[in-house]
Amino acid sequence: MTARGPQGNGRAGTTGARPGALGFLTDTTLCIGCKACEVACKQWNQLPMDDFGFTGYSYDNTGDLGATTWRHVAFIERVSDREGRRPTRLKAFQSNWLMMSDVCKHCVYAGCLEACPTGAIIRTEFDTVVIQQDICNGCGYCIPACPFGVPALSLTDGKAHKCTLCYDRLKDGLEPACAKACPTDSIQFGPVEQLMERAKRRVADLHAQGVTEAYIYGDREVGGTGGIEGLNAFFILTAPPEVYNLPAQPELPQRKVLPAFLSTAAAALGLGLAALLSLRRR
Amino acid sequence: MSMGYERRWETRRQPGGSAADEARDSYYGLPAIHKPHWKWSIVLYFFLGGISGASYVVASLARLFGGPEMRPVARAGRYLSFLTVIPTPLLLIYDLGRPERFHHMLRVLKLRSPMSLGVWGLIAFSLFSGLSALIQAAQDGLLGRRGPARLLRAMPDRIIGLLGSGPAFFLSGYTGVLLAATAVPLWTKNFLLLGPLFLSSALSNAVAALFVLLTATRQAGSHALERLERLDRLALLAELALLLGLRANSGPVIGRPLDEGRLGQAFRGVLGAGVVGPLLLQALARRRHSGMAQALRLLAGLLVLAGGFLLRFVLVFAGHRSADDPQATFELARKR
Repeated sequence: MTARGPQGNGRAGTTGARPGALGFLTDTTLCIGCKACEVACKQWNQLPMDDFGFTGYSYDNTGDLGATTWRHVAFIERVSDREGRRPTRLKAFQSNWLMMSDVCKHCVYAGCLEACPTGAIIRTEFDTVVIQQDICNGCGYCIPACPFGVPALSLTDGKAHKCTLCYDRLKDGLEPACAKACPTDSIQFGPVEQLMERAKRRVADLHAQGVTEAYIYGDREVGGTGGIEGLNAFFILTAPPEVYNLPAQPELPQRKVLPAFLSTAAAALGLGLAALLSLRRR
Repeated sequence: MSMGYERRWETRRQPGGSAADEARDSYYGLPAIHKPHWKWSIVLYFFLGGISGASYVVASLARLFGGPEMRPVARAGRYLSFLTVIPTPLLLIYDLGRPERFHHMLRVLKLRSPMSLGVWGLIAFSLFSGLSALIQAAQDGLLGRRGPARLLRAMPDRIIGLLGSGPAFFLSGYTGVLLAATAVPLWTKNFLLLGPLFLSSALSNAVAALFVLLTATRQAGSHALERLERLDRLALLAELALLLGLRANSGPVIGRPLDEGRLGQAFRGVLGAGVVGPLLLQALARRRHSGMAQALRLLAGLLVLAGGFLLRFVLVFAGHRSADDPQATFELARKR
């Protein structure tokens, strides 16, 4: 496990977020796994229940973000390391919990938005990313275009859904339902610039307290890499991103469009020439 | 409205492994990204769209440079292109979650969205394909002798064919870019290879289809068929190189779906029966005479077509499998 603190390539804490962009800071060191965010999100956005099943994955019976799940609390109980040793100074009955409330990252440059062929996915006046439900025709291209696995197609209405950062509440000057409901302020809402300053101070505090693993996920160094230029909904984590099912160095998928088209055009030239030479009269 | 359950994940837990083991390297082995919902209709679209575009190119080049003995190839290519392009928009619309909203695709043109480009490219190509087929029908006397038929016969079919070859190549190849510009590990890892692979496979499929059609209907002379076979050989060799490149470039983790299980068998089937087999059959046919050789060539053509369909099936579903594998996603997203 490598610490991903402020050292690194000097891009820690930097983000390409536009001035005035609104977003989330989800500080996982404060999360107690109460799932109030999941419930508040479902209540406010009138989302139906998910598969009513038992996963066997710690306290997580939600599993994943989906068409009707826009906040998802992950539970990781780290009881032993690879050699079977206990990786913590906590007492034996304590589970060494990691809990993290996952959400749409509202990327500064968003793969889903770039991929959308109908213009249904837009960047709002709050610099959040929203799927307009009256436009989406359920082509499903945004779903594999998200490097974080956020949007999903609904089986009931055939359209793509994801977190809107409570666009309707923002319009009325209210904070999003999940942030409002969070009892420990693990989920904080506000202008990204301010949240990022707060996150940097918090990480420095955590380091001073001996939690040297703490780092920001969602700046240009980790999580917001490869042309994404930062996440407007970012996190403070204390374990490698993969533990939370997050990619460490994701890339904006549309970076591949131009080079892929160029290689295809080169192949078209080559094959066209081969066809010409094979078919011509001699 | 029915209450459908949206939750669809599956675990990749190793037999005998504990949840604590899984929680160290991934989140209980659950997928880190969402795979697309694309199923058989998209596979079929890739197949028919590829044949349609490539047969248009073959028809245009045959008409421009082939001389009189290639006229049957040009005619068959134009008809085949039009017949195979007709179902493609229907397949795409059928695949939508809200088919009645298909025209929302026409609100915008987005240069960084291969799907948006593909919609407009398909429309542009359909116009060329339809026009060339109409001109061919008029030249064949199928539309009567007066009025519109005369107008169509007067049109510069060679120039139209040349202009339409651009959108035709686009339709055959953009599907590779469509797959590449996603977070799906197997696809984006091979972003430079997928477009050329779709193109060369489309060309080999179109040529094989034309070969089979012209042989079965006894429309073309032996010179024309020889030239088609030469082109088929080149396209198959390119396809073979690209397939081997794809497997090598994918590496052990991201390329796993191409090795394991039914998909692995299918991938080897594409290589063996869809590419190498036809090449061998054609080589064998060149050493024989008349009837036997004809049968071998026909078999080779049919194998190429089956291989082309299977290739698209494998690429789509192996992509799904790699999207479900968090280790593949994480390998792609390691520090570069």
